[in-house]
Amino acid sequence: MMTSSAPTTESIVGMTPGARMRRRVFGHYGLMFGLAVLILIIAAAIFAPLLTSHDPYAQSLFMRMKPPFWMNGTNPDHILGTDHLGRDYLARLLYGARISLMIGLLTALVSGVIGTTLGVAAGYFGGKVDLAVTFLINVRLAMPVVLVALAVVALFGGSLQVVILVLGFLLWDRFAVVMRSSVMQIRDLEYVNAARAIGCSTTRILLSEIMPNVVNNLIVIMTLEMAHAILLEAALSFLGLGVQPPMPSWGLMISEGKEMLLFQPWMITIPGVALFMLVLAINLMGDGLRDVTAPEAKG
Amino acid sequence: MSTEGSASKPIVNEMKPFLRASAFALVTALSCGQAFAGKADDTVHTAFTKELESVDFYYQSAREGTILSRHIWDGLVYRDPKTGEYSGNLAESWTWVDDMTLEFKLREGITFHNGEPFDADDVVHTITFITDPENKVVTPSYSNWMKSAEKIDQYTVRIHTERPFPAALEYLSSLIPIYPNEYYAEGGPTAMGLKPVGTGPYMVESLEPGKHYVLKKFDGYKGPKTKAEIGTIDIRTIPDINTQMAELLSGGIDFVWGVPTDQAEQLTTMDQFVVANEATMRIGYITMDAAARGGENPFTKKEVRQAVGYAIDRQAIVDNLLKGSSEVVHAACYPTQFGCTDDVMKYEYNPEKAKELLAAAGYPNGFETEFYAYRNRPYAEAMMAYLADVGIKANLNYLKYSALRDLQKNGGGGFGFLTWGSNSLGDMSAITSLFFEMGDQDFARDEEVSNWLKEGDTSVKDEVRLEAYGKALKKIAEEAYWIPTFSYNANYVFTKEVDYKPTPDEIVRFFDMKWN
Repeated sequence: MMTSSAPTTESIVGMTPGARMRRRVFGHYGLMFGLAVLILIIAAAIFAPLLTSHDPYAQSLFMRMKPPFWMNGTNPDHILGTDHLGRDYLARLLYGARISLMIGLLTALVSGVIGTTLGVAAGYFGGKVDLAVTFLINVRLAMPVVLVALAVVALFGGSLQVVILVLGFLLWDRFAVVMRSSVMQIRDLEYVNAARAIGCSTTRILLSEIMPNVVNNLIVIMTLEMAHAILLEAALSFLGLGVQPPMPSWGLMISEGKEMLLFQPWMITIPGVALFMLVLAINLMGDGLRDVTAPEAKG
Repeated sequence: MSTEGSASKPIVNEMKPFLRASAFALVTALSCGQAFAGKADDTVHTAFTKELESVDFYYQSAREGTILSRHIWDGLVYRDPKTGEYSGNLAESWTWVDDMTLEFKLREGITFHNGEPFDADDVVHTITFITDPENKVVTPSYSNWMKSAEKIDQYTVRIHTERPFPAALEYLSSLIPIYPNEYYAEGGPTAMGLKPVGTGPYMVESLEPGKHYVLKKFDGYKGPKTKAEIGTIDIRTIPDINTQMAELLSGGIDFVWGVPTDQAEQLTTMDQFVVANEATMRIGYITMDAAARGGENPFTKKEVRQAVGYAIDRQAIVDNLLKGSSEVVHAACYPTQFGCTDDVMKYEYNPEKAKELLAAAGYPNGFETEFYAYRNRPYAEAMMAYLADVGIKANLNYLKYSALRDLQKNGGGGFGFLTWGSNSLGDMSAITSLFFEMGDQDFARDEEVSNWLKEGDTSVKDEVRLEAYGKALKKIAEEAYWIPTFSYNANYVFTKEVDYKPTPDEIVRFFDMKWN
């Protein structure tokens, strides 16, 4: 054991980079809170069958609209009550989390791949490629997302796949803009030039010199776009053009509860709060990630 | 979303998201202060859900338009909503000269709201105008059974029909309001839509098209409808049902109808409102593409269609979702319509039998199909869950009615849940004949059924009609071309100050309304 007078490694060389990172991460309350809530929701989605024995699709018409546990006239079988067709609200909420998370994740992946490819190409090659990509970005920015999504979904019919693809093809602009400018900043730095000088292939330079240095931005955008996609899906489903019933989706649950807004407000409050928490958690996490990975925070 | 109709009361509109408690608080607050609606100023405030295209009856197709037309205008004939019997309205009496000629003796001494006296010229002008295809009335089938109208003398008119048309009186009483000829000749539908003039118990004092209508009692009214008691009817368009509820709770409106069952049930628990439930002539039905108009599909097999009938617990849907005076319907028509009979094959809930039938048809594991609907999504969803239980996986396509109708015209949308209100006509030809005589929305394409129906449509002998219609209904049920689901009901909610008895034809009659 060390005595208090003896110099520690820490006092001599300072914290190791790992320890510094850990302190930044664990000391960031927003990030921790977001991460905790997100992990909780993901776990609930994955272990939904273990958390409830109810089938989210099983309707029971004579058990309609039983209120949740904190109200009068509840049914002990249904902690969060039942919906307008007598389906268990908790089960629909848990299975609905799967849909929301899946849409968020897949949309972020699709749009991430499109946006990053375009952005990196524009930033790295510049010139005509940049012109072309900038043009595409402008075209995309000129299209109102919700309007286009509504039109496409109305044309092809709403379904999980259509929603994911439509949102994926519409939300890539931020990836492209950010990737383009970050890559532009580093494409002429010494280590990139060095790699070029020793004859590395373009693919290699992009993959092992450029990408690792912009990936933190990518993660932050990804979380933001994930939250964006989840909200958009809820909006589309609320308008009846997103995920189609009977699939459990939070947006759909809100839309189904809308009719009863005045008399059974909990039907909207429960999925509304869930949606709010999920989006808040993802945004806090994205914010936190930006804070801890940003160069100025590395100290 | 669409709440602009309540723009004149922004405070209430802001209230919408708040909970019941705050709505109650507002009610109490308002009832202590000065009430701005109701008995005190002899005005009933009410709301329309739909934005009406035009007040001119012939240039719109909404229930709201029908309701307004009954107040502003009169037909030649009047049908008592309670007894269903015909009596004179603008006409005093009538006789069938032959199978295709109907002669009317008109009532004398009637004047329009603008002072124009009523006589045979008004009748002839109105009928000539609406039967002329050039004038493009919105629903030609209301009037195209008439060939022409002929003036015999100032108070005698003959109507010549295109074919023997037994439902003529029904149509004349409901769908053919008579317009003042001089006024209509001069201004046409535009003037009639902006400043309507008729002979009815209410006249239009002011209107903002699609938004706001103010009706005033017409003191010169002489017809068979009740003479209006309530001085002013103030109607605003409020498309969102929750906004309507908020207005009702805050005293902004005194009367609403078409309130969804769940909300109506909550309102019954409140002391200041009366909730009345009455049947309507609307029935729901599941249509199936038996004629393969949209290509080969499982529903071309009779067993599959019957299986759909056995798979769905319609009684449970009625008991738990529609409630009120709704009933399960077995024949492809509304039970009280002329010609409609319950004596057809009935499909009671029996999922086991449905599975057997599916297996017999070659679908032991069921199949996947598209399912179309345009209103009452919860009902459609409930049906889909029942279908899923027997192995039919239905994917919901929820469209606007006009879109679904266009799709069906081109052979699409063959499997779906639709409804039809028969325009409140008490004759089976308003529904069964419309859908099973090889028309756009006929997915049965059964010649035998079509011929029976045509026989019923064109005979003036009741026995012949009943027999022909009966045969058609039996075959439709036997073949399960349609699975009729249930009749609808409507909830009318109004304050205790108002005394009103709704009628089963879903037409609100403000002239029958009184103050308590």
